[in-house]
Amino acid sequence: MMEVEEGNFDEAYDVYACMQCGKCTGSCAVSLRSDLNIRELMRIAILNENGELEKHEEIWDCTSCGICTVRCPRDLKPAEVIVGMRSSLVEGGTIPITVRDALESVGTNNNPWGRPKSKRAEWLEDLDVKVKNISEGEDAEYLLYIGCTASYDPRIQSVSRAAINVLTKLGVDFGILGEEEPCCGSEPRMMGETGLFEMLVEDNLNLFDEFSISKIITLSPHAYNTFVNDYPECAKRLKEDDAEIPDIELEVKHYTQILEELIDDGRLDGEMMNEFSETVIYHDPCYLGKRNNIFEPPRKILNIIPGARCIEFDRREDRSLCCEGGGGRMWAEGTGTGERNSIIRVNDANRDEATVIAVACPFCLSTLEDARATAGYEETMRVMDIFEILDEVLK
Amino acid sequence: MTVYVLAEHRRGELMDVTFESISAARRLNDEVVAILLGKDLGDHAEKVAKYADKVLVVEDERIENNTEAYTQVIGELIKKDKPKVFLMGNTSMGMDIAPALAIDLDSPIATDVVGISEEGGRIKVMRSVYNGKVLSDLVLGEAETSVIAIRSGEFSAADLEEKNGEITKVDSPLKEAIENKKFLEFVEPVAGAVDITQADVLISVGRGIKDKDNLPMAEELADAVGGVVSCSRPVVDYDWLPKDRQVGTSGKTVKPKFYLAFGISGAFQHVAGMKGATMIVAINKDIKAPIFSVAQYGIVDDLLKVMPALTEKIKELKS
Amino acid sequence: MDVIVCVKKVPDTAEADVSVGAGGREINKERLTFAINEWDNYAVEEAIRLKEEDEGTVTVVTVGGKDKEDILRRSLAMGADKAIRLDMEDPEDSFVLANVLYTLIKDQKFDLVLFGAQSGDFNSGVTGVMVARMLGISHAAMVNGIEVLDGRTKTSRELEGGLNEIYEIKLPALFTIQTGINEPRYVSISGIRKARKKELKVMTPADVGVTEVKPMLSLEKMYLPPPGKIAEIIGGSPEEAAAKLASLLKEKGAF
Repeated sequence: MMEVEEGNFDEAYDVYACMQCGKCTGSCAVSLRSDLNIRELMRIAILNENGELEKHEEIWDCTSCGICTVRCPRDLKPAEVIVGMRSSLVEGGTIPITVRDALESVGTNNNPWGRPKSKRAEWLEDLDVKVKNISEGEDAEYLLYIGCTASYDPRIQSVSRAAINVLTKLGVDFGILGEEEPCCGSEPRMMGETGLFEMLVEDNLNLFDEFSISKIITLSPHAYNTFVNDYPECAKRLKEDDAEIPDIELEVKHYTQILEELIDDGRLDGEMMNEFSETVIYHDPCYLGKRNNIFEPPRKILNIIPGARCIEFDRREDRSLCCEGGGGRMWAEGTGTGERNSIIRVNDANRDEATVIAVACPFCLSTLEDARATAGYEETMRVMDIFEILDEVLK
Repeated sequence: MTVYVLAEHRRGELMDVTFESISAARRLNDEVVAILLGKDLGDHAEKVAKYADKVLVVEDERIENNTEAYTQVIGELIKKDKPKVFLMGNTSMGMDIAPALAIDLDSPIATDVVGISEEGGRIKVMRSVYNGKVLSDLVLGEAETSVIAIRSGEFSAADLEEKNGEITKVDSPLKEAIENKKFLEFVEPVAGAVDITQADVLISVGRGIKDKDNLPMAEELADAVGGVVSCSRPVVDYDWLPKDRQVGTSGKTVKPKFYLAFGISGAFQHVAGMKGATMIVAINKDIKAPIFSVAQYGIVDDLLKVMPALTEKIKELKS
Repeated sequence: MDVIVCVKKVPDTAEADVSVGAGGREINKERLTFAINEWDNYAVEEAIRLKEEDEGTVTVVTVGGKDKEDILRRSLAMGADKAIRLDMEDPEDSFVLANVLYTLIKDQKFDLVLFGAQSGDFNSGVTGVMVARMLGISHAAMVNGIEVLDGRTKTSRELEGGLNEIYEIKLPALFTIQTGINEPRYVSISGIRKARKKELKVMTPADVGVTEVKPMLSLEKMYLPPPGKIAEIIGGSPEEAAAKLASLLKEKGAF
């Protein structure tokens, strides 16, 4: 990722290798229901016609699921080209108002939801378990990074509470940052706010250093992805520009990976759980699956739950259908018409007679939960984060 | 001692805030003199005189629809009579006139006032500050006349005592027509074009509306109350309303004076788009719906029953 | 067209829990975040829009300590040419503030002065119009549209119920800007970095010759309203509840 000056998309993203085969558009999660045509945008990048990007409202339709990058036969990164185009629009200041407000909120409140920083730890209020707060000087092996959505969205806050309950029961030594927890920057980066992302990387690495944090567990695959894939590269670049970046190596894991380790170590097994008499279908989040090839850990967890009948979507793993929650789409409705992917997803799950859709990402939970109600499955189906399922079954 | 009250009118209609201003003025236990300026005043003077102790009428075409002329004429009347207080609505007109008048008269001013009293010869007001989260009591500085602009809807005019005051015509003190600031015209909101971010009243419908065929019911209510229909995301998903009506983080952020949420559960993303509304009313069958935690008023019932009843009642009250 | 825009930094209290400090003089601000007053942001955007349409300069002005400079930097990044910070404690009394701003503005070159129609802290909405009066120039409050003609403007004021009124106003003039007049652009972090080179002038009260005036209002006390009720439920049959709601809406001025 870099700042793209007018007229150098071609160099910035090496787009000359693009042969306009169209595999990106063909695989795109939203091209069927929106004007987004990634091949056309690649062509614009090749020709450096980025002066007219304002006209391409569909640039904000991309969910950044990354399937185009997975499928590109030339190993190009079309999804990153879109980030670059958004970045160019962000610099010009002409962006959808909802995106503008989200980005401004990250600047002032350290979260894109427009909620005050002082209420970031609100979700802790109904919790009986005592949690260590690293920002108050308590030591812990891991930082449990909650993230903005799971801190503020009342539906997703339940995942944060479930995470505390489960990790505490399993004897994991962890703490949180409470009100001091910052935005990870994943969504701002995907919305093209390069400068803001860099600022967050610098601030956050210094914050982690201040509290001697080196091991992080994330609830969100988006936070996981950015800590693992974007931070090191960005930190390196900032250092070259003489920014004060501490020399810390972060060991970051998505929570399903930690739970998998616990299973392997014999610290988590089916005997610790009550029966869960449900037909469970697992929905792969793009940022865990397509972007990071983490397919096994969530399945392994679900498979040890006694009574759970685990089934699979036809479109799964790296072909999983994106829920349309990422890439800033929580703040940009997009040009799309017709059925949302999340509706297709819950309909598929219903057809397969699933009673629980298991997810491992706050955005997936939010979009699928909404779709479940819209499609009328309130009585017959639940959408649950894996942490919520464990919280329910663990004795 | 007297309190002057401005009778605000526009396009042949006397504004309610006139009577609310009289109601506020009554808390000061003084003679209430209403002033009525402009042209084509119809029976405004009689209507105001019913509740005021006195009405001063200045008929002058040059004053009509010109806030600068208003300011100068009010200033002249005040200089002559030296009322203790000049009081008007904190309306758009009030925001243009009152602060200018305060400077012209060297008067202290308090605007957007929600409470008023007199203590030991000093005027004390209550204002709500910091987004309505805090109340503040303020005492106005000593002066011949104080200027106060009251918030609309805060001082009930329901129980005003009848006075049938005397109506006096006064010669216009306006020296010359205002050349620097000329009123040109009124512009109506464009018919048909719907901008939910600009509406004062939103009738917002959610999943609970159940069927596209029920939408005219919402339109009818919106027409009755002079508002606009907006919605939550599912209604757009069902293709019942266009996308530009959608309230929420991925739709539009709205801050109307009144937000009536019908059958909207109040998902986080929706609430984030409307929580800035001044008054939120939720109508929902489910008492546990999160919308009730952001609403000031709620009705726990079937919207399909409440909505048409509300439309009828509003029509009744209007006629 | 040379435009001066007066801006203020205010705490964001829309969603935060607000408490009043001991003595009831002020709210506790430690846990609040601060940003440019929402109405002022629209005013800055409007000034820049006018400059981009025609030519001229945009100068943003604020009163306060160094911690207020970020809103000036932000405005410079949006496209303002120059910023002035008057280095003194930001007066809470509108009349005192108006007097300070008047003193500063009267010696500047301008065709138009813009203010936000009100500020999100005290919501008085008087400072701009007071300054206009002190300067002896025309003004319009609650402006939601400006069209510049030769030496004049066609100015739209927002009235109640979606109605607008149009005035022809001679320049120089002062307008207080209502939200919704435009769509303020996003100011990126790198934009703010790039705008560091632009001029930000710090002046002292002595520089501009600020004289002391008496505040108009004296604060007796600040306090929290009685504990907020979570949705007062209107009971009765659908017809009864609707009737109660209709009266309530009428009373509050919905129709």
